[in-house]
Amino acid sequence: MSQLALVIDLNVCVGCHACVTNCKEWNTSGMAGPLSDFNPYGAEPTGTFFNRVQTFEIGSFPNTETVHFPKSCLHCEDPPCVPVCPTGASYKRKEDGIVLVDYDKCIGCKYCSWACPYGVREIDEKQKVMKKCTLCVDRIYDMGLPEKERKPACVLACPTSARLFGDVHDPESAVSVAIRENSGYQLMPEWGTKPSNHYLPRRKTQLRIHDDELVRADNPLKKERLLPKPDKSAPSLDDVTSW
Amino acid sequence: MNTVSVRDMLNDKREDGEYKIPFLVVCDAFHSETTAFADLVLPDTSYLERHDVMSILDRPISEFDGPVDAVRIPIVPPKGECKPFQEVLIELGARLKLPAFTQKDGSRKYRDYPDFIVNHETEPGSGIGFLAGWRGKGGEKNMRGEPNPRQWEMYAQNGGFFHHELPRSYQYMRNWNQGYLEWAQRNRITRYAEPISIHIYSEVLQKFRLAAQGRTEGRQPPQHLKKRIETYFDPLPFYYETLESQLTDTHKYPLNAITQRPMAMYHSWDSQNAWLRQIHAHNYLFVNPKTATAQGINDGGWMWAESMHGKVRCMCRYSEAVEPGTVWTWNAIGKAAGAWGLDADANESQKGFLLNHLISEELPAHDAGAHLSNSDPITGQAGWFDVRVRIYPAGAEEPQQTSPQFEPLKPAPGMAQKRPDWFAFFAGKGDWK
Repeated sequence: MSQLALVIDLNVCVGCHACVTNCKEWNTSGMAGPLSDFNPYGAEPTGTFFNRVQTFEIGSFPNTETVHFPKSCLHCEDPPCVPVCPTGASYKRKEDGIVLVDYDKCIGCKYCSWACPYGVREIDEKQKVMKKCTLCVDRIYDMGLPEKERKPACVLACPTSARLFGDVHDPESAVSVAIRENSGYQLMPEWGTKPSNHYLPRRKTQLRIHDDELVRADNPLKKERLLPKPDKSAPSLDDVTSW
Repeated sequence: MNTVSVRDMLNDKREDGEYKIPFLVVCDAFHSETTAFADLVLPDTSYLERHDVMSILDRPISEFDGPVDAVRIPIVPPKGECKPFQEVLIELGARLKLPAFTQKDGSRKYRDYPDFIVNHETEPGSGIGFLAGWRGKGGEKNMRGEPNPRQWEMYAQNGGFFHHELPRSYQYMRNWNQGYLEWAQRNRITRYAEPISIHIYSEVLQKFRLAAQGRTEGRQPPQHLKKRIETYFDPLPFYYETLESQLTDTHKYPLNAITQRPMAMYHSWDSQNAWLRQIHAHNYLFVNPKTATAQGINDGGWMWAESMHGKVRCMCRYSEAVEPGTVWTWNAIGKAAGAWGLDADANESQKGFLLNHLISEELPAHDAGAHLSNSDPITGQAGWFDVRVRIYPAGAEEPQQTSPQFEPLKPAPGMAQKRPDWFAFFAGKGDWK
């Protein structure tokens, strides 16, 4: 049984929010839309987003890090939002593990958002139904799109390729390899939700300069001399090389 | 820079009561602060409604394996009375009969911007124009060739760009690559086929310096600038305090103040966009907690930042990621009330602010002159990061609002007065539903 998920590399994310806006652009016009905005041109604008980036600092100056932390539904293997739903609107698909909301059944009671320990469900205050990341279920199976575009909008938008998408149950998939080889981890595993999305940790980069690297013993200025030029009739680099 | 004074200058009148600037034309795609000062506003299009070129003559988008240039082709018609600004310039050039836009018999040379792009050559018959691809009568040449009347179509067929791939031996170390340099010279990309090296010791700067020292024949700098040129046109790199710092009482104004574009709006100057402004609707001044607490400023509290040129009231945000001698904020989020199609009480004007109020376009009067540009003496780069400031808490009795504030802009004729509270954007179904 496959389980589709995102793997997000916190060492690579620069906090540009391209995933946030591209997610909203695709989904407001797609099957899960619209994603309404309240007061979009007034005071304290607010609206529904499936994906948000939280930025926070760690440590104190000068040993500080700024972390950009993208958050969306983690498509848990044991999602606490599903059993609490009184109408069966929240459900987990058997075939690919995506957690979805059926807006026609949702009554906006918000039990699911209380049950979700990650705070990634968003009530649409206009439509009065609960909304959330769908992993772009309305594009990842679209045979009308070229295969490389059958990915969630956030993954396609990321300029630093910090977001990977695939089946975490397939041990040979790119996401499984990334999790295995880069110490990928789940958020708050102690809740027993078994989140499918994983994060790759920040890695410390350290600059190591040894004294003997600062001064070159073999200064090339001492070695360079004018050499005789090749004969004009000699073949050029392009003539003698098959690139 | 110096935004409050610039507003005064735009409205300044002569003694006879007439405006010093008699007629001001502003071309803008948005209802910006500047449009309020205009006698005539020319509504510009967005980039989706017009032809554009990323030209080989300006800053092409080239790749390591060869030059690339690109075009934009409109995907929607212009809205309302909008007209691309480049069309306005072509029209002006023709009506003013500027030589580059006029035939020998005085008639106009270019029908419109796309026609100008195809047919303009750097000099008559040079075969070099704005676009390097599909030149020659039938599009059979590249880099150089006669104008091709079907050039736009050929770019469109190729996805809007042209890429000339160089022979492999030309692709590397191009500043010293003889084959490449000769090719580049023949195609007029460089003037000389000489190796291009970075000068650690700059003969060019030394030339200016020797002139300032009176040790060369020929042109001499004016007397009052000699010392400045002798000092800063040093042929070797050296460190100095910025010109503005040298002219500032740094005991009174000890901190550096800088700005940067937020990542989420990096290439967007229209940050009033409904989604982008939910990411950053207003900005804070980021201050190291040590620096802020020394002044009694709370995290999230109202404070003043003041330079010798002006002051702003804003909100403080503690940050351990900023060095204690520096404060900083996101730029271009603060807006005047009522501008940019936002409500007069929008966060951008009530909680957002610009550091521009603290920065002057001129250095204070000193021995080199009274009106010297506040910019780098060699490159002319504006001294945006050179300002020095002090910070202190705002009084409890002060309004919880950024300062300075301006009279809210009135909507322009035809602008929506009141919009619904709820919006839901939907692609392909008009502006909104």
